[in-house]
Amino acid sequence: MITEFLSYGFVQKGLIAGSLVAAACALLGVFLVLKRLSLIGDGMSHVCLTGVALALFTATSPVYMSIPVVLLSSLGIMKLTQKFRIYGDAAIGIVSAAGLSVGLLITSLAGGFNTDLLSYLFGSILTVTTDETVLCGLLFIIILTGICLFYREVTSACFDEPFAKTRGIKVGTVNAVLVMITSVAVVLAFKVVGIFLISALLIIPPVASLLVARTFKQVLCLAVVFGVLSVWGGIYISFVWDIPSGACVILMNLLFLLGSYTYNKIMGK
Amino acid sequence: MSGIIKAQNVNFAYTRTPVLENISFEIQPGDYVGIIGPNGGGKTTLLKVMLGLEKGKGSIELFGTPLPQFQEWHKIGYLAQKSPVSQSRFPISAQEVVLMGLLGRRGSRISVGELKQVYEAMQQTNTREYADRIFNDLSIGQQQRVLLARALVSHPQLLILDEPSTALDASSRELFFNLLGNLNKKQGVTILLITHDTGEVGKYISKFMYIDKTLVFFGTKPEFCHSKAVAEKLGAFAQHTIDHLHNHHGHCPLGADCEECAHDH
Repeated sequence: MITEFLSYGFVQKGLIAGSLVAAACALLGVFLVLKRLSLIGDGMSHVCLTGVALALFTATSPVYMSIPVVLLSSLGIMKLTQKFRIYGDAAIGIVSAAGLSVGLLITSLAGGFNTDLLSYLFGSILTVTTDETVLCGLLFIIILTGICLFYREVTSACFDEPFAKTRGIKVGTVNAVLVMITSVAVVLAFKVVGIFLISALLIIPPVASLLVARTFKQVLCLAVVFGVLSVWGGIYISFVWDIPSGACVILMNLLFLLGSYTYNKIMGK
Repeated sequence: MSGIIKAQNVNFAYTRTPVLENISFEIQPGDYVGIIGPNGGGKTTLLKVMLGLEKGKGSIELFGTPLPQFQEWHKIGYLAQKSPVSQSRFPISAQEVVLMGLLGRRGSRISVGELKQVYEAMQQTNTREYADRIFNDLSIGQQQRVLLARALVSHPQLLILDEPSTALDASSRELFFNLLGNLNKKQGVTILLITHDTGEVGKYISKFMYIDKTLVFFGTKPEFCHSKAVAEKLGAFAQHTIDHLHNHHGHCPLGADCEECAHDH
């Protein structure tokens, strides 16, 4: 069964793209969770709806259309928090609601929901294109390189922001880059699990990892392992039982979270 | 002698509520300044504005360089009043936390020399024994000592400490103030310390700064203790501080230098 599963080209492409996106989201998610910005993924995913609706309306690529829309929204969140001193969660809520309502409005103007839009809402990992897979690979390499090169700076900025500023670290730039890369990851992730479930890829693997890891490097590595294994397990289950892949991926993630919690309790960590 | 910190007409307000108004002062190398004042008087905000953590109006120079252009952050050690890290689940060892204090100096690579500095700072603050433990697993007092080691690790010329002894037990507090006293006297480290513990720390402090939205007083300890004009101007809080300075442990912290005590005796 597994040999048959792996022999399909679309499955191979889905597994590669899904693994890369899951790994990218897991790495970013660790920093977002620790900075208490994890719901930014949820907000950005709602904004994706505007990008997808615009793309369907103008018959262009949803991924390429959504990237600038989500990037602009992430900048909007940052401006709201910095310039208007609005709390981060409130700013995310405002932009998220704006994104969702504009998306629905465009969808309505275009004549209502159709199959294409539903596939973006609930994910269709097995329809990932080669270009999108390459984009996922690029994103993962950029994130990994960034973390390796600026590990101490990024860690310090997440651990204690005011102190990091007194070390001369440009915390504002670190935050901006983190949010903008997250925006791109969110766009690339909506094909894997769908707009409604993207934030789970950013939150669950890091949280599960934080429950069992003893060092920060372990947290990063384990989050990636949990994220990638969830994609593989989820796609396999989806293939065998012919059920939605996005939901299966997230349920696998939840299984890892349950396992981590149990381990945490047993070990008394 | 040029000041290590020079503040001119510093103002700060949260939305429309002024917190600091027209504050000007100059801190000289080797000063040990105790910053006192009532709660909500703007002491912590002043330190934050001086470090660029809050954007105020006016001019601030650190080591002769205007704050926006200042780059030599390794010359400054900072310990905040309330660290955002104490409640965090961040799985990071105490040693790694101390290592963060060296970031401004040498970029990302960790050298043997840096590890030696971390070891020394942890030795100074008696935190060496739990260097490998997860920071979040330590008690609040232990965390505070690790954060002090982080402030000291870059061998700063200026230490800025915001109520650093609050979470420390009596013996740790004594060790802590002795350490600061030695750093100031033997190594010439300039210290700015927000404290309400004027009795214990009073014997080390050379100058007092009283902040209550404005700079009400800045001068030497004898001037602060013995100026009747200051006492009248500052009211109950200052009188309490002066009394505390004189009565703590039953002796005057100024010792033989205190003219008032000499007259009394």
